[in-house]
Amino acid sequence: MDTAVADLLIEGLWLMAIGLGIVFTFLVTLVGLLMLMSKAVARWGPEDAPPATGVAAHSIAPSPAADGDRLVAVVGAAIQAYRRRHRP
Amino acid sequence: MEALLTLWQSTGIANVTWRELLMLFVGLGLIYLAIAKRFEPLLLLPIGFGAILSNIPVAGMAGPDGMIGMIYHVGVETGIFPLLIFLGVGALTDFSALIARPSTLLLGAAAQFGIFATLIGALALNLLPGFDFSLADAAAIGIIGGADGPTAIFLASRLAPDLLGAIAVAAYSYMALVPIIQPPIMRALTTKAERSVVMEQLRPVSRLERILFPFAVLFLCALLLPSAAPLIGMLTLGNLLRESGVVERLSRAAQNEIINVVTILLGLAIGSKLSGELFLTTQTLGILVLGAVAFSIGTAAGVIMGKIMCRLSGGKVNPLIGAAGVSAVPMAARVVNKVGLSENHHNFLLMHAMGPNVAGVIGSAVAAGVLLALVGT
Repeated sequence: MDTAVADLLIEGLWLMAIGLGIVFTFLVTLVGLLMLMSKAVARWGPEDAPPATGVAAHSIAPSPAADGDRLVAVVGAAIQAYRRRHRP
Repeated sequence: MEALLTLWQSTGIANVTWRELLMLFVGLGLIYLAIAKRFEPLLLLPIGFGAILSNIPVAGMAGPDGMIGMIYHVGVETGIFPLLIFLGVGALTDFSALIARPSTLLLGAAAQFGIFATLIGALALNLLPGFDFSLADAAAIGIIGGADGPTAIFLASRLAPDLLGAIAVAAYSYMALVPIIQPPIMRALTTKAERSVVMEQLRPVSRLERILFPFAVLFLCALLLPSAAPLIGMLTLGNLLRESGVVERLSRAAQNEIINVVTILLGLAIGSKLSGELFLTTQTLGILVLGAVAFSIGTAAGVIMGKIMCRLSGGKVNPLIGAAGVSAVPMAARVVNKVGLSENHHNFLLMHAMGPNVAGVIGSAVAAGVLLALVGT
């Protein structure tokens, strides 16, 4: 094998070892930092308003019967308004 | 008569070379892929058109005094354009999935193995006649495995400007091919039982956490890897604009106007590197092959890391989400979702795959920083 290429390959292998080492060190440290941050926020952070996903889940869920009645009322009113406006 | 001769000599027909002609067809090919096949049209269309404009004989648009040449000089040589794109990426990205489950960062780290394996592959190609890649060239080629367009362009413009055209085309073409490249590798490396693992729902993430997140990343970057500061800095700024909730206008500008304008200019500038002398070489062929290898190895490494995490967590992690570690946001996450659904119709992995997916963006930016620090002088 060409010695120049062999040298380059060895250098490349070093680069791989160091590079992956740093990438992993960086991201593992970030994992730790994020966990600490989440714990700190949960402990000392302000009471957060319920996040958007939670709100969406709740607003769809409760009492389908009551919601259905309201829906019928709203749609009915809308149809009436539309007809009134578009009457020839 | 003399005037007619002069006129004839200034026409394109009299001056065109076979290389320019061939590159015009390469440009048309890219535009065809963009329009007919919807391959990353946002970038391949301007790149293809840039290639056509740059190869118009006599006009010299890609030259130092040409319009596209100047755009290249201002935006790509300085590294400004890819960084502005990163600002937009930061403003477009929701990191909640990552904050809710930080361990997925490991998947983003593992997938970067593709970058370094490809680097070795590029160096090994030197054994064949017709290839002469330096360490800097090999590093720039390897970053294709990061599956992150702006990062690849940023690093290539620093380390190997001559290869930029081929590297950018390879990076964006393979990102478009992710739905074809990844699934066979994912299926080959996992069992049916592993693919149908259903993951726990992610916890909600508070606003304060989302605001603190960019600072955590930036702080670590400043401490450990300042050479990645341009990339990480713009990414975190964009994300802070988004999450702070007080600069809606700036956030929207970063997500839309800025990133769109820069994408057009960046595409044209990269197209200018698709000139005959630079592109029609055996090296380009090598880069295209290595790019596919890079994606495949990155995907495999991510899935294997996913399997390790699956074992360690007692079967709570679906190894498929490891494949999303190669960034290519959000395509890779969608592919994971699709493969997961084909195994179990009620198993939606999209949100779970977004964690490793955005971790891949940070991972490839970190890898780019490492390569810049070690190879760039």
